[in-house]
Amino acid sequence: MKSETRSEIRDQIIFIICFIIAWYVVYKMRVFSPTAFPSVGSIGESFVTAFTTNDMLSYTGHSLLLIAKGLAIGIGLAFIFSSLAVISKHFHAIYNLIVSICDLLPGVALLPLAICWFGIGEITIIFIVVHSIIWPMSRSIMDGFSSIPRMYIESGMNIGLRGLKLVTGVYLPAAFSSVLSGMRVGWARAWRGLISVEMIFGTTSSGAGIGWYIMMRRNFMDMSGVFAALIVIIIIGVLVEYGIFRTVENRTVRKWGMVQ
Amino acid sequence: MTEANKAPLLEVKDLVKNYHDGPNARNILDHLDLSVNEGDFLTILGPSGCGKTTLIRCIAGFEDYEGEILVEGKAVSQPGIDRMMIFQTFEQLFPWKTVKKNIQYPLKINGITDKEELDRIAEKHLELVGLAGKGDLYPHQLSGGMKQRVAIAKGLALNPKIILMDEPFAALDAMTRNKLQAELIKIKEKENATVIFITHNIQEALVLGNRVILMSKNGEIKVNMENKIPKPVTPASEGYGEMWKLLNEALWEEDSEGGAVSE
Repeated sequence: MKSETRSEIRDQIIFIICFIIAWYVVYKMRVFSPTAFPSVGSIGESFVTAFTTNDMLSYTGHSLLLIAKGLAIGIGLAFIFSSLAVISKHFHAIYNLIVSICDLLPGVALLPLAICWFGIGEITIIFIVVHSIIWPMSRSIMDGFSSIPRMYIESGMNIGLRGLKLVTGVYLPAAFSSVLSGMRVGWARAWRGLISVEMIFGTTSSGAGIGWYIMMRRNFMDMSGVFAALIVIIIIGVLVEYGIFRTVENRTVRKWGMVQ
Repeated sequence: MTEANKAPLLEVKDLVKNYHDGPNARNILDHLDLSVNEGDFLTILGPSGCGKTTLIRCIAGFEDYEGEILVEGKAVSQPGIDRMMIFQTFEQLFPWKTVKKNIQYPLKINGITDKEELDRIAEKHLELVGLAGKGDLYPHQLSGGMKQRVAIAKGLALNPKIILMDEPFAALDAMTRNKLQAELIKIKEKENATVIFITHNIQEALVLGNRVILMSKNGEIKVNMENKIPKPVTPASEGYGEMWKLLNEALWEEDSEGGAVSE
């Protein structure tokens, strides 16, 4: 198990090194214009200056704060509605329809409406983030709930759990691996949605995020700055995956022997 | 029989169960009557599909039914902690809780919140089933036999009026099964529990039960007899042979295809 992950990590590191070398070779061959295809060195430099002089930290912080708010609301609502769907069959039928419909709507397509309703500001962004996470998350939770072994539910009922107590005491932990994968999908969608909205919006009264930073760099034709911002986005994604999701997974479903 | 004048703990009167899942759906349980006294160890035998599992699921409160099921005179309408069910599958413990928490959680829900009290109960019952010191393991770290022991400990800890066991040892290897049978008898004596135990194994029925009933394919009770063989029951015990033969013949009669009946 351990050596397997180690060899996986080794392969991945080798791939990244090869990728950087290939990039360097392509750059040196001058296949593309250096403005469109900046050197590894200049991307690195832009990455550093993004933080030292261009205040990347505050852009990142702004984006992260917004997504944290949106995720908290979205996950909370997904839990509440999915739990209600367990308790009431009628609500399940209706909510199932709502999720199926809303899951098809891209967040960006709702932007004009959201702007009309909430104006250009934080609420609109949070609205889009909530929209991006609540439907896939609800779908995963409900699918997870419906595939729980009957045994756990009957055991729970036997020891006196009913209604909401049965949901929190049995349904949620028993479906936790589905809940986690729902969070993963939801987080990825919300993060992408957020960056898109920031690019469309530009800056709002409450500040600007990474999406706005990318737009600014593009306006200056600073492609290495754009790449640097993309790298920041990737790093945040990796940190969330390994720092949060893997850790939670190791401390829950893996420890419980509920996944291989 | 001093208990003859005492009301039975469990009374099943004219019980009918039909799933109504087709135009000609038959009665799984057909006007069945049964009573169980406090301290009884009742084993239920029957061919596959005779409704023995349905019967204890009705008693446990997992199914609707027609007729009457009374525990201490009160009608059963839903699952409750006075009737703890122990299932055949090894996967009846909550995998997200340690062994100790699996035992303590039902107690907590039902109002025991004192930590020392909870620890004391968990330790006592783990010891009772021979798993002292295993409380911090997760279910996936246990063998099948150990999981069933924990399930028994969990059921006993709630101090139910009746313990309902649906072939809990059927998926175990023969050695482990024998061991658990012997332990279950000891535990039953010690706790003076009332047990209803389903099995398809005649030997198991005779070794465990002080009463044995055999159900027919039509969902009726065909044989209902006391098992007077003194414990521990072995095939060498006096009277074992006759009872085994009687039950075996009754089972063969039920098994129209004439397939193998486990001994």
